[in-house]
Amino acid sequence: MEHIFSASERELPGMVVIDLQGEINAFADQELSAAYERAEGHATPTVVLNFKEVSYINSTGIALIVGLLARARKAGRRLAVYGLSDHYQEIFQITRLADFMNIYSDEASLVAELS
Amino acid sequence: MSENKQLDRNASWAKPVSRLSTADLPRGAVNLNVAGRQVVGPLQGFGQLWQKTYRVRLSGSEVTPTQVIQVWKENFPRFWPPGNKFFGPLTGIKPGEVAVLNLAGPGGLSAPGGMPVISTGVLVIYADDESFSFMTPQGHMFAAIITFSAFDDDGTVVQVQALVRANDPLYELSFRLGVGHKAEDEFWQQTLENLAAHFGVRGQVQQKVTLVDARVQWSQARNIWHNAAIRTAFYTPVALVRRLIKR
Repeated sequence: MEHIFSASERELPGMVVIDLQGEINAFADQELSAAYERAEGHATPTVVLNFKEVSYINSTGIALIVGLLARARKAGRRLAVYGLSDHYQEIFQITRLADFMNIYSDEASLVAELS
Repeated sequence: MSENKQLDRNASWAKPVSRLSTADLPRGAVNLNVAGRQVVGPLQGFGQLWQKTYRVRLSGSEVTPTQVIQVWKENFPRFWPPGNKFFGPLTGIKPGEVAVLNLAGPGGLSAPGGMPVISTGVLVIYADDESFSFMTPQGHMFAAIITFSAFDDDGTVVQVQALVRANDPLYELSFRLGVGHKAEDEFWQQTLENLAAHFGVRGQVQQKVTLVDARVQWSQARNIWHNAAIRTAFYTPVALVRRLIKR
């Protein structure tokens, strides 16, 4: 089974984007958490998760994202996402993550709305 | 990854449902507080947000993670502590299935006439060869995602991990008083011990608890309207009178 996951962050005006790559499962926990901590250091009001290069998310991965969302809400930050396939947009609806985060199709539409 | 493999993996997830429905339940199931309810995740709950992880190592057993999960999915209710009943489909744990839970109170306490203290349910949101997950409906004690998994770490380790908030202020009060936490911890410890015993292992359950968010969400206080414990308590005398009339 593939356990390769990486996360790196970059800053845009008013937001920091975390580019995710690979599978989000239990093995992504430390890397994802570390990337989020680095993103928190940027002190921008919005943190964005880019799922464009994510190949799979299992239920542990969804729980990790719920945890990040809780951390963002606790710190008064907005968490937004883009690059989700139709399937994972559906998963975000089932798990009710979509109730608490804005989902965009791509970075351009996200930047246009949030900038 | 091939398209077919991706489709197979996508099938591990449940299809979206706006409201839960139940069907083909075994005789004896007290089916309340499930049909028509929405599922709620940890973000929709009221209380403090906790991550609770319970683990047992199957030392000395040759069983693989996949074999453990297969047995667990097929026999899920068997490993629960006495007094608690899980009425799921006969086919076992599959994505999209809804199960009805008839739960005892703390210490295995049951209501008069053998009625459950809480009748509620769960939705299976995910199931693959190495894990499966539940979400809870409105009225359940928890607004939660609970994941059951097994993995290889110099031997097979079995884990229950719950990302959980008390669903409403009354449940939160029971957590603050320690009753709710104790009952939940004992429940999953005993479940894992029973599962380990099935594989011939006398397991020592390790527990890790992290407070993810100490705040309560007052905007969700109205969740108490659906409180399954209150609703089950109101239903119990009605059910007992019905039983007497039928005799």
